Amino acid sequence: MPIASRDRFALLVQREIGRLLGPLWIPAGAAILRWRYGWQIVNASAARREFSRLRRESQAPLLVCANHLTMVDSFLIAIALGSPWWYIRHFSTLPWNTPERENFSRTWWLRLATYVMKCIPVERGGDRREVGRTLERFSYVLRQGDVGLIFPEGGRSRSGRIDPDAATYGVGRVVKSLPGCRVLCIYLRGEGQVGYTDAPARGERFRVLFASLEPKTEHAGMRGSLAITRQILARLTALEANWFDARQ
Amino acid sequence: MTEKEAFETVVKILTPHTKNPAALASAKLDTNILDDLKVNSARLVDVVLAFEDAFDIEIADEEVDSVNTIGDCVRLILAKAS
Repeated sequence: MPIASRDRFALLVQREIGRLLGPLWIPAGAAILRWRYGWQIVNASAARREFSRLRRESQAPLLVCANHLTMVDSFLIAIALGSPWWYIRHFSTLPWNTPERENFSRTWWLRLATYVMKCIPVERGGDRREVGRTLERFSYVLRQGDVGLIFPEGGRSRSGRIDPDAATYGVGRVVKSLPGCRVLCIYLRGEGQVGYTDAPARGERFRVLFASLEPKTEHAGMRGSLAITRQILARLTALEANWFDARQ
Repeated sequence: MTEKEAFETVVKILTPHTKNPAALASAKLDTNILDDLKVNSARLVDVVLAFEDAFDIEIADEEVDSVNTIGDCVRLILAKAS
């Protein structure tokens, strides 16, 4: 379903403001994660190569799907997939994401930060029409060539592990609306991360695993959306098993 | 299929998903599924799939956006089934 012209214009303005301010906030954000909190992704280079390859090989939409344990996962995943300098030069590769509106609307500076950081806030469990409109806007930016990031579980995992039963249909709906959409599954976890938290421990070291796929389904409607979400969660579950196997 | 039959089946399908059985017991067409019955929004997909199976219909993603109340479900199901 096409989005309203005012929504298209608003997204264009948001993207351009974020891009123009990018040389300021992108390095600053990365520096804060690295030097203030001491967070470090120890094996980011392979994930960055894969992300770069997927962007080079096709102009088909690209969606990043990841596990979700902390409220700063989207920042960490962005850092895992590209350097600040790379994002400044290729702003379209910096993923859009859909944070819970309540978590990032408490102060004016949080609202400003999410605005320039390519966020389309969503009210989970809110009015269905509004949630549907948010998903349409998110699909639109991917159709325009930008990358998106979404957490298929819909929220932080309460068990600390991927929960296949938490599958929401939103991610499947987005993929289904974008013919040829590719999905890069990312499993990112701090070495000391046990369950879900607001933020990782200071000085945490993260390891990232990845796999790409192009989900398909013969089903239409919500059944098709759910089938796609389950394919993505199955891949994330396999990555999670590999992550823990490698730690033993 | 009558509106009453569709209503009863919808209520039956919603029963295992509601966290407010009292509201379900006195459910009417204007009962809100998320706000009144406290159905988890993430589980709405299971409810819709159950509608599809029970009434042998197919519901598009966009059509779910307009479903807020039991009455919305009943009207959508009757429109699809006819």
